[in-house]
Amino acid sequence: MKWNVWFGEVVEEDGKLIAKKSSDLVESFKNASNPEALPFNLPEVGLQVFESLEDYYRTLRKIAIKVTSEKVEKELKREDRYVILLLKALDKLNESINMLEEKLRDIEEVKISETTEDFRERIEELKRLRRRIEKEIEDVITKIAPNLTEIAGAVIAARLLEKAGSLERLAFLPASKIQILGAEKSLYKALARMRRGKPAKTPKHGIIFIHPFIRTLPKRKRGRMARFMAAKLAIAAKLDYFKGELDESLAESVRKKYEELRREKDKPKKEESKQERREEKQKKKKKKPKHR
Amino acid sequence: MKEIIHNVYIIEREGKEILVTKSKYGSHYGERKIGEFREWIPSRSKLAAMILKGHVIDIKPDWKVLYLGAASGTTVSHLADIVDEGIIYAVEYSAKPFVKFLQLAEERRNIIPLLEDASTPWKYNGIVEKVDFVYQDIAQKNQIEIFFANIDMFLKDGGEGVIMVKARSIDSTAEPEVVFDRVVKELGEKLEVVAHGSLEPFHKDHIYVHVRKTK
Ligand SMILES: C[S@@+](CC[C@H](N)C(=O)[O-])C[C@H]1O[C@@H](n2cnc3c(N)ncnc32)[C@H](O)[C@@H]1O
Repeated sequence: MKWNVWFGEVVEEDGKLIAKKSSDLVESFKNASNPEALPFNLPEVGLQVFESLEDYYRTLRKIAIKVTSEKVEKELKREDRYVILLLKALDKLNESINMLEEKLRDIEEVKISETTEDFRERIEELKRLRRRIEKEIEDVITKIAPNLTEIAGAVIAARLLEKAGSLERLAFLPASKIQILGAEKSLYKALARMRRGKPAKTPKHGIIFIHPFIRTLPKRKRGRMARFMAAKLAIAAKLDYFKGELDESLAESVRKKYEELRREKDKPKKEESKQERREEKQKKKKKKPKHR
Repeated sequence: MKEIIHNVYIIEREGKEILVTKSKYGSHYGERKIGEFREWIPSRSKLAAMILKGHVIDIKPDWKVLYLGAASGTTVSHLADIVDEGIIYAVEYSAKPFVKFLQLAEERRNIIPLLEDASTPWKYNGIVEKVDFVYQDIAQKNQIEIFFANIDMFLKDGGEGVIMVKARSIDSTAEPEVVFDRVVKELGEKLEVVAHGSLEPFHKDHIYVHVRKTK
Protein backbone atom coordinates (compact mmCIF):
# COMPACT_ATOMS: atom_id res chain seq x y z
CA MET A 1 0.00 0.00 0.00
CA LYS A 2 1.02 3.56 -0.63
CA TRP A 3 -0.51 6.84 0.50
CA ASN A 4 0.05 10.37 -0.75
CA VAL A 5 0.58 12.66 2.18
CA TRP A 6 1.47 16.33 2.33
CA PHE A 7 5.09 15.71 3.24
CA GLY A 8 5.61 12.97 0.64
CA GLU A 9 4.62 9.33 0.83
CA VAL A 10 3.84 6.68 3.36
CA VAL A 11 4.38 3.11 2.21
CA GLU A 12 3.70 -0.17 3.89
CA GLU A 13 6.63 -2.55 3.77
CA ASP A 14 6.61 -5.88 5.63
CA GLY A 15 3.69 -4.68 7.74
CA LYS A 16 5.57 -1.54 8.73
CA LEU A 17 4.70 2.02 7.82
CA ILE A 18 7.55 4.00 6.36
CA ALA A 19 7.44 7.75 5.77
CA LYS A 20 9.34 9.22 2.83
CA LYS A 21 9.87 12.94 2.66
CA SER A 22 9.38 14.67 -0.65
CA SER A 23 12.02 17.02 -2.00
CA ASP A 24 9.26 19.37 -3.14
CA LEU A 25 6.81 19.88 -0.30
CA VAL A 26 4.62 22.28 -2.24
CA GLU A 27 4.09 19.64 -4.90
CA SER A 28 3.42 16.81 -2.44
CA PHE A 29 1.04 19.06 -0.48
CA LYS A 30 -0.99 19.66 -3.63
CA ASN A 31 -1.19 15.94 -4.34
CA ALA A 32 -2.05 14.78 -0.84
CA SER A 33 -5.24 13.01 -1.76
CA ASN A 34 -6.43 9.53 -0.75
CA PRO A 35 -9.80 7.92 -1.43
CA GLU A 36 -10.13 6.09 1.89
CA ALA A 37 -9.60 7.15 5.50
CA LEU A 38 -5.93 6.71 6.43
CA PRO A 39 -5.23 3.68 8.66
CA PHE A 40 -2.65 5.70 10.63
CA ASN A 41 -2.39 9.12 12.21
CA LEU A 42 -0.39 11.56 10.09
CA PRO A 43 1.78 13.42 12.64
CA GLU A 44 2.80 10.15 14.31
CA VAL A 45 4.14 8.72 11.07
CA GLY A 46 5.44 12.15 10.12
CA LEU A 47 7.76 12.07 13.12
CA GLN A 48 9.93 9.63 11.17
CA VAL A 49 10.97 12.48 8.90
CA PHE A 50 10.49 15.55 11.11
CA GLU A 51 12.58 16.41 14.15
CA SER A 52 9.60 17.02 16.39
CA LEU A 53 5.88 17.64 16.37
CA GLU A 54 6.67 21.31 16.55
CA ASP A 55 8.76 21.00 13.41
CA TYR A 56 5.97 18.99 11.75
CA TYR A 57 3.28 21.59 12.39
CA ARG A 58 5.52 24.56 11.69
CA THR A 59 6.35 23.13 8.26
CA LEU A 60 2.76 22.10 7.50
CA ARG A 61 1.48 25.54 8.37
CA LYS A 62 4.09 27.28 6.26
CA ILE A 63 3.33 25.16 3.19
CA ALA A 64 -0.46 25.41 3.68
CA ILE A 65 -0.33 29.20 3.83
CA LYS A 66 1.91 29.37 0.78
CA VAL A 67 -0.19 27.03 -1.38
CA THR A 68 -3.50 28.51 -0.22
CA SER A 69 -2.41 32.10 -0.87
CA GLU A 70 -1.41 31.21 -4.39
CA LYS A 71 -4.67 29.37 -5.00
CA VAL A 72 -6.73 32.25 -3.62
CA GLU A 73 -5.01 34.73 -5.87
CA LYS A 74 -5.52 32.60 -8.94
CA GLU A 75 -9.17 31.94 -8.20
CA LEU A 76 -9.99 35.56 -7.57
CA LYS A 77 -8.82 36.43 -11.02
CA ARG A 78 -10.80 34.00 -13.04
CA GLU A 79 -13.99 32.78 -11.46
CA ASP A 80 -16.33 35.51 -12.68
CA ARG A 81 -14.92 35.21 -16.19
CA TYR A 82 -15.53 31.51 -16.02
CA VAL A 83 -19.22 31.95 -15.20
CA ILE A 84 -19.69 34.52 -17.93
CA LEU A 85 -18.05 32.36 -20.56
CA LEU A 86 -20.04 29.31 -19.47
CA LEU A 87 -23.22 31.34 -19.72
CA LYS A 88 -22.41 32.53 -23.22
CA ALA A 89 -21.61 28.95 -24.23
CA LEU A 90 -24.90 27.83 -22.69
CA ASP A 91 -26.84 30.29 -24.84
CA LYS A 92 -25.15 28.99 -27.97
CA LEU A 93 -25.77 25.42 -26.89
CA ASN A 94 -29.46 26.18 -26.44
CA GLU A 95 -29.69 27.68 -29.89
CA SER A 96 -27.94 24.67 -31.35
CA ILE A 97 -30.17 22.17 -29.57
CA ASN A 98 -33.30 23.97 -30.78
CA MET A 99 -32.01 24.21 -34.30
CA LEU A 100 -30.93 20.57 -34.43
CA GLU A 101 -34.22 19.35 -33.01
CA GLU A 102 -36.06 21.28 -35.68
CA LYS A 103 -33.97 19.76 -38.42
CA LEU A 104 -34.38 16.30 -36.96
CA ARG A 105 -38.16 16.71 -36.85
CA ASP A 106 -38.12 17.70 -40.51
CA ILE A 107 -36.18 14.58 -41.44
CA GLU A 108 -38.27 12.27 -39.26
CA GLU A 109 -41.38 13.45 -41.00
CA VAL A 110 -39.96 12.00 -44.17
CA LYS A 111 -38.30 8.88 -42.82
CA ILE A 112 -37.17 7.36 -39.55
CA SER A 113 -33.93 5.43 -39.84
CA GLU A 114 -30.89 4.35 -37.87
CA THR A 115 -29.36 7.63 -38.83
CA THR A 116 -32.18 9.64 -37.31
CA GLU A 117 -31.97 7.55 -34.15
CA ASP A 118 -28.27 8.25 -33.92
CA PHE A 119 -29.05 11.92 -34.48
CA ARG A 120 -31.57 11.91 -31.62
CA GLU A 121 -29.07 10.22 -29.29
CA ARG A 122 -26.53 12.96 -30.03
CA ILE A 123 -29.08 15.64 -29.19
CA GLU A 124 -29.80 13.90 -25.90
CA GLU A 125 -26.09 14.00 -25.19
CA LEU A 126 -26.08 17.73 -25.78
CA LYS A 127 -28.97 18.08 -23.38
CA ARG A 128 -27.00 16.23 -20.73
CA LEU A 129 -24.11 18.60 -21.36
CA ARG A 130 -26.52 21.50 -20.97
CA ARG A 131 -27.62 20.26 -17.55
CA ARG A 132 -24.00 19.92 -16.47
CA ILE A 133 -23.17 23.44 -17.55
CA GLU A 134 -26.23 24.80 -15.76
CA LYS A 135 -25.21 23.00 -12.59
CA GLU A 136 -21.65 24.29 -12.84
CA ILE A 137 -22.85 27.86 -13.32
CA GLU A 138 -25.08 27.50 -10.29
CA ASP A 139 -22.24 26.09 -8.16
CA VAL A 140 -19.75 28.78 -9.10
CA ILE A 141 -22.11 31.75 -8.86
CA THR A 142 -23.25 30.60 -5.39
CA LYS A 143 -19.63 30.55 -4.37
CA ILE A 144 -18.41 33.85 -5.83
CA ALA A 145 -21.59 35.87 -5.33
CA PRO A 146 -23.42 34.36 -2.34
CA ASN A 147 -25.44 37.51 -1.61
CA LEU A 148 -26.61 38.10 -5.16
CA THR A 149 -27.53 34.43 -5.43
CA GLU A 150 -29.39 34.39 -2.13
CA ILE A 151 -31.56 37.30 -3.24
CA ALA A 152 -31.99 36.70 -6.94
CA GLY A 153 -31.36 32.98 -7.39
CA ALA A 154 -28.51 31.49 -9.41
CA VAL A 155 -29.95 32.16 -12.85
CA ILE A 156 -30.63 35.86 -12.42
CA ALA A 157 -27.42 36.39 -10.46
CA ALA A 158 -25.38 34.83 -13.26
CA ARG A 159 -27.21 36.88 -15.90
CA LEU A 160 -26.59 40.11 -13.99
CA LEU A 161 -22.93 39.23 -13.84
CA GLU A 162 -22.88 38.51 -17.56
CA LYS A 163 -24.64 41.76 -18.45
CA ALA A 164 -22.33 43.80 -16.24
CA GLY A 165 -19.24 42.07 -17.61
CA SER A 166 -17.52 41.35 -14.31
CA LEU A 167 -18.23 41.22 -10.61
CA GLU A 168 -16.18 44.35 -10.19
CA ARG A 169 -18.29 46.33 -12.64
CA LEU A 170 -21.51 44.99 -11.18
CA ALA A 171 -20.34 46.12 -7.74
CA PHE A 172 -20.02 49.69 -8.98
CA LEU A 173 -23.33 49.90 -10.82
CA PRO A 174 -26.02 52.05 -9.21
CA ALA A 175 -29.29 50.33 -8.30
CA SER A 176 -31.14 52.16 -11.06
CA LYS A 177 -28.86 50.54 -13.61
CA ILE A 178 -29.13 47.08 -12.07
CA GLN A 179 -32.90 47.38 -12.24
CA ILE A 180 -32.84 47.63 -16.03
CA LEU A 181 -29.80 45.46 -16.70
CA GLY A 182 -30.70 43.14 -19.54
CA ALA A 183 -33.29 45.54 -20.88
CA GLU A 184 -30.81 47.77 -22.67
CA LYS A 185 -32.37 47.12 -26.05
CA SER A 186 -35.79 48.36 -25.04
CA LEU A 187 -34.22 51.26 -23.18
CA TYR A 188 -32.33 52.42 -26.26
CA LYS A 189 -35.44 52.04 -28.36
CA ALA A 190 -37.44 54.12 -25.90
CA LEU A 191 -34.78 56.81 -25.74
CA ALA A 192 -34.57 56.92 -29.51
CA ARG A 193 -38.33 57.38 -29.74
CA MET A 194 -38.20 60.18 -27.20
CA ARG A 195 -35.45 61.90 -29.07
CA ARG A 196 -37.68 61.88 -32.11
CA GLY A 197 -40.29 63.54 -29.93
CA LYS A 198 -42.53 60.49 -29.79
CA PRO A 199 -44.11 59.15 -26.61
CA ALA A 200 -42.34 56.18 -25.08
CA LYS A 201 -42.16 54.33 -21.79
CA THR A 202 -38.76 53.59 -20.38
CA PRO A 203 -38.48 49.98 -19.23
CA LYS A 204 -38.93 49.51 -15.51
CA HIS A 205 -37.15 46.21 -15.15
CA GLY A 206 -34.60 44.13 -16.94
CA ILE A 207 -33.51 40.63 -16.18
CA ILE A 208 -34.69 40.83 -12.57
CA PHE A 209 -38.23 41.01 -13.91
CA ILE A 210 -38.28 37.21 -14.18
CA HIS A 211 -37.83 36.90 -10.42
CA PRO A 212 -40.89 35.23 -8.87
CA PHE A 213 -41.13 38.00 -6.26
CA ILE A 214 -41.74 40.49 -9.06
CA ARG A 215 -43.57 38.31 -11.54
CA THR A 216 -46.15 37.09 -9.06
CA LEU A 217 -47.17 40.57 -7.94
CA PRO A 218 -49.95 42.49 -9.62
CA LYS A 219 -48.62 44.79 -12.32
CA ARG A 220 -49.09 47.96 -10.28
CA LYS A 221 -46.80 46.75 -7.53
CA ARG A 222 -44.03 45.37 -9.67
CA GLY A 223 -42.23 48.65 -10.12
CA ARG A 224 -41.90 49.16 -6.40
CA MET A 225 -40.71 45.60 -5.85
CA ALA A 226 -38.18 45.88 -8.66
CA ARG A 227 -36.84 49.12 -7.26
CA PHE A 228 -36.46 47.64 -3.80
CA MET A 229 -34.84 44.48 -5.08
CA ALA A 230 -32.43 46.41 -7.28
CA ALA A 231 -31.37 48.50 -4.30
CA LYS A 232 -30.63 45.37 -2.28
CA LEU A 233 -28.88 43.76 -5.23
CA ALA A 234 -26.61 46.78 -5.49
CA ILE A 235 -25.59 46.28 -1.87
CA ALA A 236 -25.27 42.53 -2.41
CA ALA A 237 -22.93 43.03 -5.38
CA LYS A 238 -20.67 45.25 -3.27
CA LEU A 239 -20.64 42.76 -0.42
CA ASP A 240 -19.85 39.92 -2.81
CA TYR A 241 -17.10 41.84 -4.51
CA PHE A 242 -15.40 43.22 -1.41
CA LYS A 243 -16.08 40.55 1.20
CA GLY A 244 -17.59 37.49 -0.43
CA GLU A 245 -19.54 36.59 2.69
CA LEU A 246 -23.22 35.96 3.01
CA ASP A 247 -25.27 38.47 4.95
CA GLU A 248 -28.58 36.75 5.49
CA SER A 249 -30.45 39.87 6.53
CA LEU A 250 -30.31 41.22 2.97
CA ALA A 251 -32.33 38.47 1.34
CA GLU A 252 -34.57 38.43 4.38
CA SER A 253 -35.47 42.08 3.85
CA VAL A 254 -36.36 41.38 0.22
CA ARG A 255 -38.59 38.53 1.27
CA LYS A 256 -40.27 40.77 3.84
CA LYS A 257 -40.85 43.52 1.31
CA TYR A 258 -42.45 41.00 -0.99
CA GLU A 259 -44.77 39.70 1.73
CA GLU A 260 -45.63 43.26 2.64
CA LEU A 261 -46.47 44.24 -0.93
CA ARG A 262 -48.40 41.06 -1.51
CA ARG A 263 -50.56 41.60 1.53
CA GLU A 264 -50.96 45.31 0.99
CA LYS A 265 -54.61 46.12 0.50
CA ASP A 266 -55.43 47.31 -2.95
CA LYS A 267 -56.08 51.00 -3.00
CA PRO A 268 -59.22 51.96 -4.86
CA LYS A 269 -58.21 51.76 -8.47
CA LYS A 270 -59.12 55.25 -9.57
CA GLU A 271 -57.18 56.94 -6.86
CA GLU A 272 -54.07 54.98 -7.56
CA SER A 273 -54.07 55.44 -11.29
CA LYS A 274 -54.65 59.15 -10.83
CA GLN A 275 -51.71 59.29 -8.51
CA GLU A 276 -49.56 57.29 -10.87
CA ARG A 277 -50.46 59.53 -13.75
CA ARG A 278 -49.52 62.50 -11.68
CA GLU A 279 -46.15 60.90 -10.94
CA GLU A 280 -45.60 60.16 -14.59
CA LYS A 281 -46.34 63.74 -15.54
CA GLN A 282 -43.92 65.07 -13.00
CA LYS A 283 -41.25 62.74 -14.28
CA LYS A 284 -41.77 63.91 -17.81
CA LYS A 285 -41.67 67.53 -16.81
CA LYS A 286 -38.35 66.98 -15.16
CA LYS A 287 -36.97 65.17 -18.15
CA LYS A 288 -38.08 67.48 -20.89
CA PRO A 289 -35.53 70.27 -20.51
CA LYS A 290 -32.77 67.72 -20.87
CA HIS A 291 -33.97 66.70 -24.28
CA ARG A 292 -34.21 70.13 -25.67
CA MET B 1 -16.28 36.75 35.88
CA LYS B 2 -16.33 33.02 35.30
CA GLU B 3 -14.48 30.69 32.99
CA ILE B 4 -16.88 28.32 31.23
CA ILE B 5 -14.47 26.71 28.76
CA HIS B 6 -10.69 27.03 28.59
CA ASN B 7 -10.10 30.72 27.77
CA VAL B 8 -13.83 31.43 27.41
CA TYR B 9 -15.34 33.74 30.02
CA ILE B 10 -18.55 35.53 30.78
CA ILE B 11 -17.72 38.99 32.08
CA GLU B 12 -19.74 41.93 33.28
CA ARG B 13 -19.57 45.04 31.22
CA GLU B 14 -21.74 48.09 31.69
CA GLY B 15 -24.23 46.02 33.63
CA LYS B 16 -24.48 43.40 30.91
CA GLU B 17 -23.01 39.93 30.72
CA ILE B 18 -20.95 39.33 27.63
CA LEU B 19 -19.09 36.37 26.22
CA VAL B 20 -15.36 36.79 25.57
CA THR B 21 -12.26 34.76 24.83
CA LYS B 22 -8.92 35.42 26.42
CA SER B 23 -6.58 36.33 23.62
CA LYS B 24 -3.06 37.50 23.00
CA TYR B 25 -4.18 38.91 19.67
CA GLY B 26 -5.98 41.98 18.40
CA SER B 27 -9.47 42.41 17.00
CA HIS B 28 -10.20 40.39 13.84
CA TYR B 29 -13.70 41.32 12.68
CA GLY B 30 -14.41 44.57 14.47
CA GLU B 31 -15.14 43.00 17.85
CA ARG B 32 -14.20 44.98 20.96
CA LYS B 33 -11.01 44.34 22.86
CA ILE B 34 -11.53 44.55 26.58
CA GLY B 35 -8.17 44.23 28.28
CA GLU B 36 -6.86 40.77 27.49
CA PHE B 37 -10.28 39.66 26.18
CA ARG B 38 -11.96 39.73 22.79
CA GLU B 39 -15.72 40.03 22.72
CA TRP B 40 -17.33 36.99 21.11
CA ILE B 41 -20.41 38.27 19.35
CA PRO B 42 -23.29 35.75 19.16
CA SER B 43 -24.99 37.39 16.19
CA ARG B 44 -21.76 36.99 14.24
CA SER B 45 -20.75 33.53 15.43
CA LYS B 46 -23.12 30.59 15.73
CA LEU B 47 -20.80 28.83 18.15
CA ALA B 48 -21.03 31.82 20.50
CA ALA B 49 -24.80 31.77 20.09
CA MET B 50 -24.91 28.08 21.00
CA ILE B 51 -22.89 28.69 24.16
CA LEU B 52 -25.06 31.63 25.17
CA LYS B 53 -28.12 29.49 24.64
CA GLY B 54 -26.70 27.36 27.42
CA HIS B 55 -25.14 24.48 25.55
CA VAL B 56 -21.49 24.32 26.54
CA ILE B 57 -19.05 21.85 25.00
CA ASP B 58 -15.90 21.40 27.00
CA ILE B 59 -13.41 22.06 24.22
CA LYS B 60 -9.92 21.15 25.48
CA PRO B 61 -6.89 23.34 24.83
CA ASP B 62 -5.06 20.55 22.97
CA TRP B 63 -7.91 19.48 20.70
CA LYS B 64 -7.36 18.93 17.00
CA VAL B 65 -10.25 20.51 15.12
CA LEU B 66 -11.58 20.22 11.59
CA TYR B 67 -13.57 23.34 10.76
CA LEU B 68 -15.72 23.33 7.60
CA GLY B 69 -16.93 26.63 6.18
CA ALA B 70 -14.29 28.88 7.74
CA ALA B 71 -15.20 31.99 5.70
CA SER B 72 -13.20 35.00 6.89
CA GLY B 73 -12.49 33.44 10.27
CA THR B 74 -14.92 35.11 12.68
CA THR B 75 -15.56 31.94 14.65
CA VAL B 76 -12.18 30.36 13.93
CA SER B 77 -10.45 33.34 15.56
CA HIS B 78 -12.14 32.53 18.87
CA LEU B 79 -11.76 28.80 18.51
CA ALA B 80 -8.05 29.41 17.98
CA ASP B 81 -7.96 31.25 21.33
CA ILE B 82 -9.53 28.17 22.95
CA VAL B 83 -7.40 25.41 21.44
CA ASP B 84 -4.18 27.29 22.09
CA GLU B 85 -2.17 24.07 22.26
CA GLY B 86 -4.12 22.36 19.49
CA ILE B 87 -4.58 22.75 15.75
CA ILE B 88 -7.45 23.90 13.56
CA TYR B 89 -7.67 22.61 10.01
CA ALA B 90 -9.91 25.20 8.37
CA VAL B 91 -11.65 24.38 5.09
CA GLU B 92 -13.34 26.99 2.92
CA TYR B 93 -14.04 26.82 -0.81
CA SER B 94 -14.60 30.46 -1.60
CA ALA B 95 -11.50 32.52 -2.31
CA LYS B 96 -12.85 35.96 -1.46
CA PRO B 97 -13.50 35.59 2.28
CA PHE B 98 -10.35 33.51 2.56
CA VAL B 99 -8.19 36.54 1.77
CA LYS B 100 -8.99 37.89 5.21
CA PHE B 101 -8.77 34.44 6.71
CA LEU B 102 -5.19 34.15 5.52
CA GLN B 103 -4.26 37.18 7.62
CA LEU B 104 -5.57 35.32 10.64
CA ALA B 105 -3.66 32.18 9.69
CA GLU B 106 -0.46 34.20 9.33
CA GLU B 107 -0.95 35.72 12.76
CA ARG B 108 -1.81 32.55 14.69
CA ARG B 109 0.36 29.47 15.02
CA ASN B 110 -2.43 26.93 15.26
CA ILE B 111 -4.41 27.37 12.04
CA ILE B 112 -3.92 25.39 8.84
CA PRO B 113 -5.87 27.05 6.00
CA LEU B 114 -7.22 24.84 3.21
CA LEU B 115 -8.98 26.24 0.15
CA GLU B 116 -10.97 23.13 -0.62
CA ASP B 117 -14.52 21.94 -1.15
CA ALA B 118 -15.80 20.17 1.95
CA SER B 119 -17.81 17.82 -0.26
CA THR B 120 -14.58 16.26 -1.54
CA PRO B 121 -12.79 15.38 1.71
CA TRP B 122 -10.50 12.87 0.01
CA LYS B 123 -8.68 15.81 -1.54
CA TYR B 124 -7.32 16.86 1.84
CA ASN B 125 -7.12 13.36 3.22
CA GLY B 126 -3.32 13.40 3.15
CA ILE B 127 -3.16 16.69 5.08
CA VAL B 128 -5.76 16.61 7.85
CA GLU B 129 -5.02 14.25 10.74
CA LYS B 130 -7.52 12.43 12.98
CA VAL B 131 -9.35 15.09 14.97
CA ASP B 132 -11.25 15.40 18.25
CA PHE B 133 -13.84 17.82 16.94
CA VAL B 134 -15.55 18.46 13.59
CA TYR B 135 -17.40 21.76 13.31
CA GLN B 136 -19.45 22.56 10.23
CA ASP B 137 -21.20 25.75 9.23
CA ILE B 138 -21.91 25.68 5.51
CA ALA B 139 -25.32 26.68 4.26
CA GLN B 140 -25.62 23.94 1.68
CA LYS B 141 -28.38 21.68 0.58
CA ASN B 142 -26.33 18.50 0.99
CA GLN B 143 -24.67 19.59 4.24
CA ILE B 144 -25.61 16.44 6.15
CA GLU B 145 -23.97 14.23 3.55
CA ILE B 146 -20.87 16.45 3.67
CA PHE B 147 -20.80 16.27 7.47
CA PHE B 148 -20.97 12.46 7.42
CA ALA B 149 -18.25 12.17 4.81
CA ASN B 150 -15.84 14.29 6.85
CA ILE B 151 -16.70 12.58 10.12
CA ASP B 152 -16.11 9.18 8.51
CA MET B 153 -12.71 10.22 7.30
CA PHE B 154 -11.34 12.35 10.12
CA LEU B 155 -13.21 12.15 13.43
CA LYS B 156 -11.69 9.91 16.14
CA ASP B 157 -13.99 7.37 17.76
CA GLY B 158 -15.66 9.10 20.66
CA GLY B 159 -14.98 12.49 19.06
CA GLU B 160 -17.45 15.37 19.01
CA GLY B 161 -19.19 17.12 16.15
CA VAL B 162 -21.30 20.23 15.81
CA ILE B 163 -23.30 21.16 12.74
CA MET B 164 -25.13 24.44 12.30
CA VAL B 165 -28.20 23.99 10.15
CA LYS B 166 -30.17 26.66 8.40
CA ALA B 167 -33.63 25.40 7.52
CA ARG B 168 -33.98 27.29 4.29
CA SER B 169 -30.75 26.08 2.76
CA ILE B 170 -31.95 22.48 3.05
CA ASP B 171 -35.53 23.04 1.97
CA SER B 172 -36.76 26.51 1.16
CA THR B 173 -40.44 25.63 1.14
CA ALA B 174 -40.96 23.34 4.15
CA GLU B 175 -41.59 24.63 7.67
CA PRO B 176 -38.30 25.00 9.58
CA GLU B 177 -39.55 22.70 12.35
CA VAL B 178 -40.18 19.93 9.86
CA VAL B 179 -36.75 20.35 8.31
CA PHE B 180 -35.06 20.30 11.73
CA ASP B 181 -36.87 17.11 12.80
CA ARG B 182 -35.76 15.45 9.61
CA VAL B 183 -32.16 16.58 10.05
CA VAL B 184 -31.90 15.44 13.67
CA LYS B 185 -33.36 12.08 12.76
CA GLU B 186 -30.98 11.64 9.86
CA LEU B 187 -27.97 12.51 12.02
CA GLY B 188 -29.22 10.14 14.71
CA GLU B 189 -29.11 7.22 12.33
CA LYS B 190 -25.32 7.29 12.18
CA LEU B 191 -24.23 9.27 15.22
CA GLU B 192 -25.23 9.81 18.81
CA VAL B 193 -27.15 13.08 19.05
CA VAL B 194 -25.99 14.66 22.30
CA ALA B 195 -28.09 17.80 22.08
CA HIS B 196 -29.79 20.13 19.68
CA GLY B 197 -31.55 23.43 19.94
CA SER B 198 -32.46 26.69 18.31
CA LEU B 199 -30.09 29.63 17.85
CA GLU B 200 -32.86 32.21 18.07
CA PRO B 201 -32.83 35.15 18.53
CA PHE B 202 -29.22 35.38 17.35
CA HIS B 203 -29.73 33.47 14.10
CA LYS B 204 -33.20 33.08 12.69
CA ASP B 205 -34.36 29.59 11.65
CA HIS B 206 -31.08 27.98 12.59
CA ILE B 207 -30.33 25.11 14.91
CA TYR B 208 -27.20 23.51 16.27
CA VAL B 209 -26.84 19.77 16.54
CA HIS B 210 -24.14 18.32 18.78
CA VAL B 211 -23.21 14.73 17.93
CA ARG B 212 -20.71 12.15 19.08
CA LYS B 213 -19.12 9.34 17.08
CA THR B 214 -19.99 6.32 19.19
CA LYS B 215 -21.76 4.15 16.67
C1 LIG C 1 -22.31 30.92 7.13
S1 LIG C 1 -20.70 31.01 6.41
C2 LIG C 1 -19.64 30.50 7.72
C3 LIG C 1 -19.34 31.50 8.80
C4 LIG C 1 -18.25 31.01 9.73
N1 LIG C 1 -18.47 29.64 10.11
C5 LIG C 1 -18.10 31.86 10.96
O1 LIG C 1 -18.94 31.69 11.87
O2 LIG C 1 -17.18 32.63 11.03
C6 LIG C 1 -20.69 29.60 5.34
C7 LIG C 1 -19.40 29.43 4.58
O3 LIG C 1 -19.35 28.12 4.07
C8 LIG C 1 -18.73 28.13 2.83
N2 LIG C 1 -19.09 26.90 2.11
C9 LIG C 1 -20.29 26.57 1.58
N3 LIG C 1 -20.23 25.37 1.00
C10 LIG C 1 -18.96 24.91 1.15
C11 LIG C 1 -18.29 23.73 0.75
N4 LIG C 1 -18.91 22.77 0.08
N5 LIG C 1 -16.98 23.60 1.07
C12 LIG C 1 -16.35 24.58 1.77
N6 LIG C 1 -16.93 25.71 2.16
C13 LIG C 1 -18.23 25.89 1.86
C14 LIG C 1 -19.23 29.42 2.19
O4 LIG C 1 -18.37 29.86 1.16
C15 LIG C 1 -19.27 30.36 3.39
O5 LIG C 1 -18.09 31.09 3.49
